[in-house]
Formats: sequence, C-alpha cells, structure tokens
Amino acid sequence: MLRLIYNELLVITGRWRSYIGFIGISILMPLILWGFSQGGEELHQDYVRELGGTFMVVGSILNSFLATYIIMNTLWIHIPFLVTLAAGDSVAADGANGIFRITLTRSVSRIKILISKLFATYIYTASLLIFCAFWSLGIGSILLGTGDLIVIDNGILILDESQAWVRMAFSFSLAILVMCMVGTLCFMFSAMVNNAVGPIIGTMFLIIIGYMIIGIPLDIFEKIEPYIFVKYFNVWWDAFKDPIPWGEIGKKLGVLGVYSAVCFGIATFVFLKKDIKI
Amino acid sequence: MILETKQLSKSFGLRKAVDGLNLEVPTGSVYGFLGPNGSGKSTTIRMMTALISPDEGEVIIQGNSVQKLGNKALLDIGALIERADFHKHLSGKTNLEMLARMDGTDMSRVQYVLDRTGLGNRGKDKVKTYSQGMKQRLGIAQALLSNPKLLILDEPTNGLDPQGMKEVRDLVRELSSEGITIFISSHLLDEVQKICSHAAMISFGQLITSGKIEDLLEDSDLLLTEVQVDQLDKAMELLSGQEWVHRCDIVEGVLRVGIDREKTSDLVQLLVQNNIQVSAVIPRTSLEDLYLSKLGTKSKI
Repeated sequence: MLRLIYNELLVITGRWRSYIGFIGISILMPLILWGFSQGGEELHQDYVRELGGTFMVVGSILNSFLATYIIMNTLWIHIPFLVTLAAGDSVAADGANGIFRITLTRSVSRIKILISKLFATYIYTASLLIFCAFWSLGIGSILLGTGDLIVIDNGILILDESQAWVRMAFSFSLAILVMCMVGTLCFMFSAMVNNAVGPIIGTMFLIIIGYMIIGIPLDIFEKIEPYIFVKYFNVWWDAFKDPIPWGEIGKKLGVLGVYSAVCFGIATFVFLKKDIKI
Repeated sequence: MILETKQLSKSFGLRKAVDGLNLEVPTGSVYGFLGPNGSGKSTTIRMMTALISPDEGEVIIQGNSVQKLGNKALLDIGALIERADFHKHLSGKTNLEMLARMDGTDMSRVQYVLDRTGLGNRGKDKVKTYSQGMKQRLGIAQALLSNPKLLILDEPTNGLDPQGMKEVRDLVRELSSEGITIFISSHLLDEVQKICSHAAMISFGQLITSGKIEDLLEDSDLLLTEVQVDQLDKAMELLSGQEWVHRCDIVEGVLRVGIDREKTSDLVQLLVQNNIQVSAVIPRTSLEDLYLSKLGTKSKI
C-alpha cells in the first residue's frame, strides 16, 4: 500500500496544478499579514473596545496568533477550493487520460488503488494546511511578533504564548480533518466522472449551498441544518475554547467522519463497478 | 489452454457488443484476434483484462476466473490495450518504475524492457516528448515488465510507421520463441498471417471461426489462385466478367483470382479457350480472403 501511495504522490507532485494552492498561499499570506502590520493599530483599538475597559492592555494584542486566527476565519471557501484541485484530479484524470487501461490491468486490486489515491489526497490536503500554518505563523512571527492570544467569542479567553502554540497546532489539526472530509467528497465525484472539473464544481457547489442554508434563518433550513456537513466545519474553532469541549469536538468529527465514510463507500462502489471504456 | 472465454457476453444499452463468445487460446501460441471495427474485439479484450465486467460468462486465465479472482488472476499477464497512455509529465522510466512498484516487480526489469523496446536512451525523457510510436513501444515495455506468460496486445501497431511495425512483429516473434503466449488483435491481416499460429474471427460479437491458421486456410472453400499468363489485361477483362470469379487483381505481374475450389479447372479452360497462354497456376489462400469471405457471409446474415 505504501508503494501505491508513493506512486500517487509522485503523480500529484509532478502536476503543476498541485502547486497552485501553495503558490496562492505563498502570495496571499504575506500580503494579508503585511496588511495586518499596516492596519494593526485600528484592529488593536477594536479589540480594546471589545474588552470594554475591563482589562488594561499593555503593548499590542495584534500578533501572529491573532492574525492567523482571523485569517483562518476567512479562508473557509478558498482552502476547500485548493484541496479540490488535487482531489478532483485524483481518479478522474487517470480515467480521462487512459491511464487506467495500463494500471487496472495489473495484478493489483482496484480497492487498493482507490485507497492509495485517497490517502495521497489526504497527504496533499494535510501538506497544504501545514504549509498554510507555517507560512501564517512563520511570516506572522517575523512581521507581527508573538505573544498572548486573545480570543473574543462568547466570552474572552486569553491564552499565553505557550498555550497559543498548542491551541494553534490543535486547531490546524482539526482543520486538516475537516478538509480531508472535503477531499473525500470531491474524491467521490472524481470516481464518478472522467474529468476533473466536474468534481471541483460539484464539491464547491455543495459547500456554498451548505453555507447558504446555514446562513438563512428559515425554519425549513434550520430543520435540515444538522444534516448539512458544512455546519461542522467550525470544529477547528473549538480548539480556542476553554475548557476545550472534547465532547462537542468528538461529535462534530464523528459526523464528518460518517460523511467521509459514506462518500468513500460510494466512490468504492462506483469504482469497482466502473467499466473502463476510455 | 492459457486463456479461455466461456459464453462471454456484454451489452451496452440495447447493443450487444459481445454475444456468447467462446475462445480457447493454446499455451505457447500466437493468437490473432480479427474482426471489423465495432465487432467486439476491444470489449472482449477489456473483459479479459478486468477493465470491463461481462454481463454473462467468464474469462479464465491459467485456470483462474478473472471474474471471481479479479486482478489477482492477471498475475502472469501483460497487456497493452489500444493506445498506450501514460502520465505525460513524468519520464518513461518513472512511469515504468511506478508500475513495477505497484505489483512488486523487480526494478531491474525497468531498464531491461526499455532496452528491449528500443527506448533505453530515452527513458529519462518526459513522455510528452515521445512520438506516438515511442509511446506505443513504451506500452509494450510496460506489458513486458512483469515477465508475463501471456501477452495481450490490442492493435499494438497502431500509430507505428512501417519500420516500427516490423520491429513490433519481430519482437512478437522473439517473445513467442521464448515461450510467451501472445494474444493479438489487429486489422492488419497480412501482419497476423505472418506472425500468428492461430486466429479467431468475430463479427457482431459472435465467433465466426477459430483454430490454427493453416487449418483455417485449408478448410476454406475460397481459393485465391495466382495465375501467370502472357496477356494480363485480356485475362483480367475476361475473368472480371465471370460470375464465379469473386475478385481479380494484377499484383506484381501476376493475376490473383478469387474463386471457389472446384472452379480451378474452369479457370484454366476459359483462359486457354480464349488464346491466353497459361504458364503457371499456383493456388494460394490468404487470411485476408478467408476474412473477407467469412465476414462477408456473416454480414449478410
């Protein structure tokens, strides 16, 4: 299996399309962080106002942790799109390019090939988010420095620097799992068709529709909300709560896990039955 | 038998692509698989190689059912199905290494098969820089990678120039002499007759005839006769008007006449009666004639 995964990674790393996400993050992150460094005072004042005079703030609360925390809030449409660039190609491209006529005539089961492709997609997804974390926290540390992280949600949580590193790592780990679910969804579409564009569009369509349903306060939508997978995407946010709501995190990851399992199950069923005609 | 199909059938919608096909490929043979476009050759080959699931029947390779064992039954086979497609952004060698890694083939085979197919010096180049002929050779290289006992080649000479076709033909002969069974589909009947020991013809997904090529030609009712005469054009004109002459061509100064076996004496008599001197009558039957006669008959059905 490891050999097959290695093969798939060779294919992914050999495609220029796979680097779009990394290039995008490389350009976007420094720009956003530079923006923070320039407009930091304004943000600082907003936060101080939120704190309502309860705290005496010495120095700036804007640092790489806060910037990363804010950036993470804004990238939940963009990151899935970057993930789908590799996941969409994963199965469909081999079908469209006639590669299956070569690989599926060898004495390796289709299920092994499919699993290796899925794992390679997961590795790509994890790499993308880890790169995003390193870039954001790394460049952020240089431009904005480090310090305590102040999270204002339902209350105010102040995490000291050492805790902030741990929570950031935990949060990005949860984000990787969320994006792996997105990758699995796109992977399922990829197993169904022979072009990579369809799976990308299909996945993004479902994510956008999901966000719309959650965002519109109608009874009918609220009833189906628990079944919308994007509702559980915010699990990474739970890493910044105190105490960490392990039960809630477990529930959300469980739902996303079930969605992933169903998507992979459908992908497997389709792929095993698939006639290779191209 | 190294390869058998039993009542193999496949439909796409209402169209029956393969209809109860029974084939028996003897071990060590070079087996030609013939049929017109759309006759079901590629579908049959794809069912043999687990790319397509049959609706009914099964494919047995070395006693193992492909439908029951899946790809495990393909352990000792190499296949090139139609066009050879690879990851274009990777080198030929990397593509082969990936395939070797898939089924645990010894990596030393990669350079061996590249050398054997004449790509030894181009292995490190990206596939997108290869000509169609080179890609096809890379396709044959990957089919040979796992040292197969059975090689299934679907139109392997497609896209090759005459030199490339000859190289493939020579390679097939070499591999056959090493004891590898080769199942090859081709439109090039002359090629098949040159290299194959056995053949099967299909039309509309059904088997028309199969067996050793020499037996098929021997049993054929159709005789192609080469006739050497002194007045080629007159003979041609005369024979072309006869109902019992199926075809008549002049090839390299010799008249080639397609007639039924029992009409040979009538042919000579007719020519002599018309003052055409006959210096030689050589009966020959080509696979092409057999193919045309068999499939022509089937088409009428």
